[in-house]
Amino acid sequence: MRTFLRLVLFSLVVSLSGCGYNTLQSSDEQSKASWSEVVNQYQRRADLVPNLVNTVKGYAAHEQRVLTQVTQARAQVGAVNLTPEALNDPAALAKFQAAQSQLSSALSRLLVVSENYPQLKADAGFRDLQAQLEGTENRITVARNRYIKAVQDYNVTVRSFPTNLTAMAFGFQVKPNFTVDNEKAVSTAPAVDFDKAPDAAK
Amino acid sequence: MRQNKTRLVNLVAALLILVWASLSGAQTSQTLLPVPALSGRVVDLTASLTAQQQAEIEQKLREFEESKGSQIAVLIVPATAPESIEQFALRVAEQWKLGRKKIDDGAILVIAKNERALRIEVGYGLEGVLNDATAKRIIEERIVPRFKQDDFQGGISSGIDAMLGVINGEPLPAPAARDVEGDSTWSSLAFLAFIGVLIGGIMRGLFGRARGALATGTLLGVVVWLIVGLISSALVAAMVGFVVALLGGRMGGGHLGGMGSGRSDTWGGHGGFRGGGGDFGGGGASGKW
Repeated sequence: MRTFLRLVLFSLVVSLSGCGYNTLQSSDEQSKASWSEVVNQYQRRADLVPNLVNTVKGYAAHEQRVLTQVTQARAQVGAVNLTPEALNDPAALAKFQAAQSQLSSALSRLLVVSENYPQLKADAGFRDLQAQLEGTENRITVARNRYIKAVQDYNVTVRSFPTNLTAMAFGFQVKPNFTVDNEKAVSTAPAVDFDKAPDAAK
Repeated sequence: MRQNKTRLVNLVAALLILVWASLSGAQTSQTLLPVPALSGRVVDLTASLTAQQQAEIEQKLREFEESKGSQIAVLIVPATAPESIEQFALRVAEQWKLGRKKIDDGAILVIAKNERALRIEVGYGLEGVLNDATAKRIIEERIVPRFKQDDFQGGISSGIDAMLGVINGEPLPAPAARDVEGDSTWSSLAFLAFIGVLIGGIMRGLFGRARGALATGTLLGVVVWLIVGLISSALVAAMVGFVVALLGGRMGGGHLGGMGSGRSDTWGGHGGFRGGGGDFGGGGASGKW
């Protein structure tokens, strides 16, 4: 009876912990799925840009500089494509991130500029686009956070014992993760200056 | 006998550790505002609505779920700091899991009263019809003007009406037949019996028929008590486990197993409102007043 009990316990332990191969597979797959969602949402934002640029052009055609910047950043983003397989390369991820954050800042400049055009702000199409852009930015944040968590789970499995042995045997590597884009901007407090008029070109 | 007892104690201890481990794993960082309990379709932590106004909106939302299947809820909190309303609303959505599983047709109207901010958080399944632009319009045109005049009931009511109207235009799968309370009780019992047969088989092998049945009953009782927290449910579970394990061998075993397919996640529910397992991905719109 004692041996039987030991057998049951042993098989339980083995089935619970195992060698981690299945965990590796599922967390790898999870991180890839999360990445697809990130790309999906970035793509959604890129798709909004041409419409947005055209709408703004209708009311503020002489804001050439900002409009060109947005269009260029949009083109750049389209050129950097990152498949889940290429994700293991930190340099590729950094490049992708740089292109996307350039589009982010170009878009926010465009929105700041558009504050100066009351007619543009009243345009129903523009307001809808703005709402869609805001929503998409939020979705990007969510998708990125989920990706960061998925990669974290995966990396912990790849690094910790005894699953690291399995990972080594089957060639699972630690994946690079997103970093905070504007670490500096986040950590420095914004300066408030009441003397000057609000600077629209920021 | 003594040996058997210590083994039983060991088993129970191991189970306790398992439960404790799974509970402690669920804790998140503590500086953030905890997600309020889903006590109903309208959760008002600021007492902005009277009981009657709250009941009216709840009624509307309940009827809508019965006819259309979508779960919509309203949450009013004083503030969401240190998070933005978007981050907070998403955490609420992830925890409440409104909307049906795989259809993801849930939506939440979150209002942070002192911060004068609000957000409509939209589940994946409704993003097509209640898209960001529509959600923004509902906020700007229906809710914000009324909130500016401190008419909370009017703003929420009008906003909800607009949301329901929009969602009504989306062809969603028909709602499932309503879960009757007795239904879920029976499926829980069937599930218990199924587990009882499984554990009973092992226990019988270990301890013999009578003691094995006793052990099964005790084990099930303790587990159910830990999960549900009700002595009465635990006693019922213990009885079921005992009887099933006692009879299990004689009935040839196995053919009770088919009954175990019932929904086990309805345990301990008292007919209250709960999310159906819908997913959210940050869709929707926010506004201020």
